[in-house]
Amino acid sequence: MKATQKKHDGLSYEYKVEIPAKDLDQKVDAKLKGYAGQVNMPGFRKGKVPLQLMKQKHGKAVLGEVIEEAVQEATQKVLDDNKIRPALQPKIEIDKDYAEGKDLVYSLAIESLPDFEIMDMKGLKLERPVADVADKEIDDALEKIAANRKGSTPITGKRASKKGDILNMDFHGRLASDPPPEDGDGHDHRRPGMHAHNHMLELGSNSFIPGFEDQLIGKKAEDKVEVKVSFPEDYHAKDLAGEDAIFDVVIHEIREPSETKIDEEFAKSLGLEDLDALRKAVREQMEAEYAQQSRLKLKKSILDIMDEKHSFEVPKGMIDMEHEQIMRQIDAEKQQTGSTEELSKEEKDELAEIAVRRVKLGLILADIGRTNNIQVSDAELQQTVIREAQKYPGQEKMVFDYYSKNRNALESLRAPLFEEKTIDFIIERADVTDKKVSIEELSMDDDEDAPKKAKKSSAKKEPAKKADAKKDEKPKADTKKPAAKKAAAKK
Amino acid sequence: MAAKKKDKVEIAEWMYNTIRGPHITEKATLGSEHGQVTFKVANDATKPMIKAAIESLYGVKVKAVNTLVQKGKNKRFKGTIGRRSDFKKAVITLEDGQMIDTGTGI
Repeated sequence: MKATQKKHDGLSYEYKVEIPAKDLDQKVDAKLKGYAGQVNMPGFRKGKVPLQLMKQKHGKAVLGEVIEEAVQEATQKVLDDNKIRPALQPKIEIDKDYAEGKDLVYSLAIESLPDFEIMDMKGLKLERPVADVADKEIDDALEKIAANRKGSTPITGKRASKKGDILNMDFHGRLASDPPPEDGDGHDHRRPGMHAHNHMLELGSNSFIPGFEDQLIGKKAEDKVEVKVSFPEDYHAKDLAGEDAIFDVVIHEIREPSETKIDEEFAKSLGLEDLDALRKAVREQMEAEYAQQSRLKLKKSILDIMDEKHSFEVPKGMIDMEHEQIMRQIDAEKQQTGSTEELSKEEKDELAEIAVRRVKLGLILADIGRTNNIQVSDAELQQTVIREAQKYPGQEKMVFDYYSKNRNALESLRAPLFEEKTIDFIIERADVTDKKVSIEELSMDDDEDAPKKAKKSSAKKEPAKKADAKKDEKPKADTKKPAAKKAAAKK
Repeated sequence: MAAKKKDKVEIAEWMYNTIRGPHITEKATLGSEHGQVTFKVANDATKPMIKAAIESLYGVKVKAVNTLVQKGKNKRFKGTIGRRSDFKKAVITLEDGQMIDTGTGI
């Protein structure tokens, strides 16, 4: 095998590799000998066919295999000899005028992974923003829970209805153009969908067509009201849109929303022992949420530092792949939302930058992981599957089956796990100091301090990336849910 | 096709009918070490005919021709007895330095 370098430009290499015919011939012979025991040929017992005859009959078929192997071997050797770590699959092009018995000549184009020094992590100083859960927060959260469980009680005494009240009523409606009902007792059932019994309607909730609720304000229980409204022009039922309608409404009862008191009783209704237990549960949940936020912030700051401290050429092929993937995702999003808006030039540039950053960070993290022997064990993978399954209560079995049958899906869980472990590793090494911040600051999007770090904010707008498309070990650069939403909203 | 020689008989149609084709088996390949090539030939072919045909078709000099008739096997198919046809084999011994490549066909 002879390899000559034809081009070398930064990270891309191009070689011309020659494999002499003699080598190929030897390999063909060796291969045929291996097959000798399996070849059936009339007139011969198995394994007794002379090599010469085998070659005549099967030589061509074997040659294809041999060439493939030889090319692979030679390519590997070129890479080893020149100490190139390929970033992607090398592009191999075999000379067109190759014929049997001639030397095999092919060209080999590769992009190597960049060589770079991983920064010293010992001296890394990091700040982890942490926020304490204040009692007030818990109270707020409790109130929110209470508000969601709002009940209602009948009013005492006979007062007129007002906004915010809940009416228990019957209503029967007809279009103004319909003939009036014959029996006149208000039980007009001719138009399905326009009548109901014991319906609960909150006044001011705007759940009915405009004007309906307003006409019920100031009425008393047992009142009969004739509500005249007109359906809006853009009403969803075509035959009703724009029509005037009359509703005969009988109010049975006026109820007012009752406050749910946050007390022992309330806690018990939620299935907890007492109020303290409830507070504790809420606190724990919030603390976990804040810890998650802190970690995300810390991770982002690590990634930012990594991005800043390392500068090396990033293989173009990888950037292209990443960029393509982002574009595909945006297209998919577009199709879902049905928007036809084209990306502006700036947005495109921004996406290109994101692609570079992602690839770069991916390379750095992969390298850190590799040099420090960080591996994701099968047990850890299994745990992730369990966690994943818990996200779909009731369908755990299906999720398990999906992952156990689908090897690729399982591998796709590996990448984020590897990334997390690497980040953990860096955090362990680094000098992390906790910094107290307020909750607002913790949950604040970094976009607000954008002018200082324009590049970072752009990176934050990355659409959430699907990991399953990634088969290689490259960890995802940055996945933050709020950022993803923002990106979607922006389009 | 091999080049014919002046002093040989012209290639004729009967020659192609005489020589049915090479007979390639383990046993036949053993003879190749001694300059012997085996052919299947027509049942009614004679040694002189075979010699003439081989010499002009392959353009080689033949030292000797040995023939034998391989009897067809008795075979049964669904109870009825059948018999495969006999065929004649010719083992050709070539003059020193001559050779025939049976793989390429006539």
